[in-house]
Amino acid sequence: MRRSAEVLVLDDEEIVCTRVEEYLEKKGFSVETFMDSQEALNRLAEKNFDVVVTDLKMNGPTGLDVLRYVQNNSPTTEVIIITAYASIEVAKEAEIVGSFGVVCKPFQLQEVHRLVKQAAKKAMKQS
Amino acid sequence: MSWWRRFGRRERADSREVIRRKLETFRDLVERNNRVLELIAGGEEKLGGEYVFDQQYLLTLARGLEESVRATVVDLNVITDGRYRDLERAFERARAAVQAVLEGRLVAPEGEHVIPLEELDERRAELAGEKLSRLAGLARRLSCPVPPGFVISTQACQRFLRRAKVDREVEWIGDVTDSQELDRRCAALRRKLTEAAVPGDIARAIRRSAARLSRGGAPWLAVRSSALGEDGQESFAGQYRTLLGVPADGVPAAWREVVASLYAPEVVRYRMARGLHPTRGLMAVGVMAMVPARAAGVAYSLDPARPDREVMLVSAAWGLGRTVVEGVGGTDRFEVSREPPHRVIAATTGHKERMYTLTPEGVQLVDVLPDRLDRPCLDGSALQQIAALVLRIERHARRAQDIEWAFDEEGRLLLLQARPLAFSVPEAQPPPAEPPDHHAVLMRDTGAIACRGIGAGRVYIVDDPTPENAPERSDQEDWVLVARTSTPRLSALVAGAAAVITDVGTPTGHLATIAREHRVPTIVDAGEATQILAGETEVTVDAEENVVYRGTVRELLRHQLLQRATVEEAREYRVLKGILRRVAPLNLKDPSTPTFSPAGCTTYHDIIRFAHEKAVAHFAEGFRFRPSASSHVRRLDLEIPLDLVLVDVGGGIAPRGSGTAVGIDELRSAPLLALLDGLTAEGVWATEPADMDLDGFMSSATRSGALTGTQVEQNVAIISEDYLNLSLRLGYHFNIVDCYLGQGRDDNYIYFRFVGGVTEMTRRSRRVELLRRVLEAHAFAVESAGDLIYSRIKKIPPEVMDAHLRMIGRLIGYTRQLDVLLRGDELVERYAKAFLDQEDGQPPPDRGGHT
Repeated sequence: MRRSAEVLVLDDEEIVCTRVEEYLEKKGFSVETFMDSQEALNRLAEKNFDVVVTDLKMNGPTGLDVLRYVQNNSPTTEVIIITAYASIEVAKEAEIVGSFGVVCKPFQLQEVHRLVKQAAKKAMKQS
Repeated sequence: MSWWRRFGRRERADSREVIRRKLETFRDLVERNNRVLELIAGGEEKLGGEYVFDQQYLLTLARGLEESVRATVVDLNVITDGRYRDLERAFERARAAVQAVLEGRLVAPEGEHVIPLEELDERRAELAGEKLSRLAGLARRLSCPVPPGFVISTQACQRFLRRAKVDREVEWIGDVTDSQELDRRCAALRRKLTEAAVPGDIARAIRRSAARLSRGGAPWLAVRSSALGEDGQESFAGQYRTLLGVPADGVPAAWREVVASLYAPEVVRYRMARGLHPTRGLMAVGVMAMVPARAAGVAYSLDPARPDREVMLVSAAWGLGRTVVEGVGGTDRFEVSREPPHRVIAATTGHKERMYTLTPEGVQLVDVLPDRLDRPCLDGSALQQIAALVLRIERHARRAQDIEWAFDEEGRLLLLQARPLAFSVPEAQPPPAEPPDHHAVLMRDTGAIACRGIGAGRVYIVDDPTPENAPERSDQEDWVLVARTSTPRLSALVAGAAAVITDVGTPTGHLATIAREHRVPTIVDAGEATQILAGETEVTVDAEENVVYRGTVRELLRHQLLQRATVEEAREYRVLKGILRRVAPLNLKDPSTPTFSPAGCTTYHDIIRFAHEKAVAHFAEGFRFRPSASSHVRRLDLEIPLDLVLVDVGGGIAPRGSGTAVGIDELRSAPLLALLDGLTAEGVWATEPADMDLDGFMSSATRSGALTGTQVEQNVAIISEDYLNLSLRLGYHFNIVDCYLGQGRDDNYIYFRFVGGVTEMTRRSRRVELLRRVLEAHAFAVESAGDLIYSRIKKIPPEVMDAHLRMIGRLIGYTRQLDVLLRGDELVERYAKAFLDQEDGQPPPDRGGHT
């Protein structure tokens, strides 16, 4: 049986974590959520995820820091950036430096699911 | 002062340059208006549950609204030379209300101190608390029998607390960390509150309503808490005071006691433990007639420990429900099948020694009669009634339910309370709801979800959506409403539907808003749903995954019942709802009423509506403008005698145009061109005078003075290439069309207002009825009062806008003198049909026809 894809969701707003987790789990993904980016980085150091969905602006390490960390340490993991519409310019930069995709807040759950599905497929093929 | 002298003064005061600047400001004002409406619609769309949004979105939304509305107020004062400075105060009030919601401060909305239960529903939860507004909503929508009663609102609570001057004590409690000190301070505060004077008007209103209940045959009353947030996100079950057996004259004191229970130490601790502000609360209080119950108890629509089973649980005891809740005298327990006819699966009969009952002295704990001690207090038929009631509520609420019920002495079943069921085991987590294989998928990913949720029922395709044509909602059958357009006329049917699908429409439209208000799963813009589903009987609409299945998919419906926390209970969702409640409602509708004033503005929507109306009025007071060859103001040359002055705020007239008058070929305003096309179409503008009988003439003669004094003196169109505001007076009829026709659909709207008439009120009302029929047939939302009609439509594609404006042009021409001819109610239908037929290519109606 194929294993379910592992997804780490990081956002300092609880509601984003809860709803994305609930939806992705319903769709068969295995999800861990974090509201503190340092804790998420610690977890990334001990476990390999297929996809990381992270907010861009947070206290402590930012979404770009998470992206860089993943690129340096876990090259098969794909990163999806969530950002407020206002930060879209920074997000474009993230796209350039190699995130799998960018989602603007407020977003529809289906949008995130579509991206996570594609990213997981790519990640699982590579690993 | 004569017309010309006034004109001369204005002309000097407003130089050409000033006028140009004002027109530019007006254009900004119109754009800001659209921006505010767009932000409101965007916010409402987020309430459908499809979007994930956070605090940052709420702040951005609030800021965007604030900036646009503030600028609108400034614009209006630039245009009118500071005539509406007091609108700034209205803006400040509205802004403060939004800010309070954002900061999580509880502020009671404006409203009555005492509200009868039958006047409430879920939409007034901020005044009546969730618990009682929900009960009232069930009573109203599902015809659930509930005891008579009334609610003392959060507004009354807020005034009482302010008057009692307890702010400092309330704040102190929030700072206390020592447990004993907390108990001491809470006790002192509650004592102060229970001794504080109730403001006279509130006390009088309470006494009046309590006495009325008492006179209606209820000597004893129940006084129950219905705090903001109670039974909402946190259950607060049993935390606040409930007083039973209160006589009518004891209600003000009992109310004070229930309000004071906001600061009971156990409540403060409960709030702290859940990360809520320890003392922030507002209390609505329900006062209900006490039912002399034969038996009463609790029912769960599912077993909270084993929700996978197809059973519901019922606990019952003799006498009042308090016997079961306090567990004082032994109870009977039943497991009943969820399937009709609700067979009893298991029963445990308790030894019931004591029971609470109503006596002439009030509520008393008494011994149960010997022959009843070990006899079950419910039989199969009573259990069936309870089962049917709890399932009916569950289907409406789309979540498993926990209800309190009672049988009165005549054997009538009454609902006392209903709330979502709390599950007691972690296994109650919803199972993954993958599409079940054995159900055919009829539609997938067609259209947009306007309100999330799952509903199943019999397909009901609506051709003529009027309340009379609504299918009966029965205990046994739900229905799924399927319609071609999302016409506002569907609104009346939406609340009773299990789900709604429309072929066309947008998630930001009026119907979508209504669906969200009633939490009815809805998919709009689904293409050919009416055709695809035409041959189907039962379907299940999954408006979470955007799929429609053939038949009833029980797995999906069950998944929905088990949801622990719905999106609606998330803090962000509640804050958004709170913001929109203070921003979106439009209270100012009729500019001719005295409340159409800055003081009458309570929401942002009111403010932009007021500003727009007054800015238009400033320009439309025709004597301000003298058409000239080089200005923005020209006269329109037309074959029909419209006497129309054009005020161009940008791009409405071709630049090469010269002379004081412009021809239709020089017009560039798309909405005005469309409207004129309809108005000047062949056969529309009848030039022969309509004949008038003596009654009509006398009525006209006595009304004309009043009319000429109040209506505009010149027909004016404020235009740009995509905007039109037309004030058109034709005889005694006054039409206003305000619209925006851009290339995208989101900004597009038409607002059409009509008032007046030459005959007596009956005939003028008939014309309003005729207009209503025609406009509703074109999916406009319509409201009317007397001879006044307002209608609006929004978010429609440019080609449909164009067709609608032609239709309105034709309608203005067609109905110009029609009220004279409307001598009987039956003619309304005939003339409306004639107009609609003509659109479909039928020959023009016989305008002179009499019957």
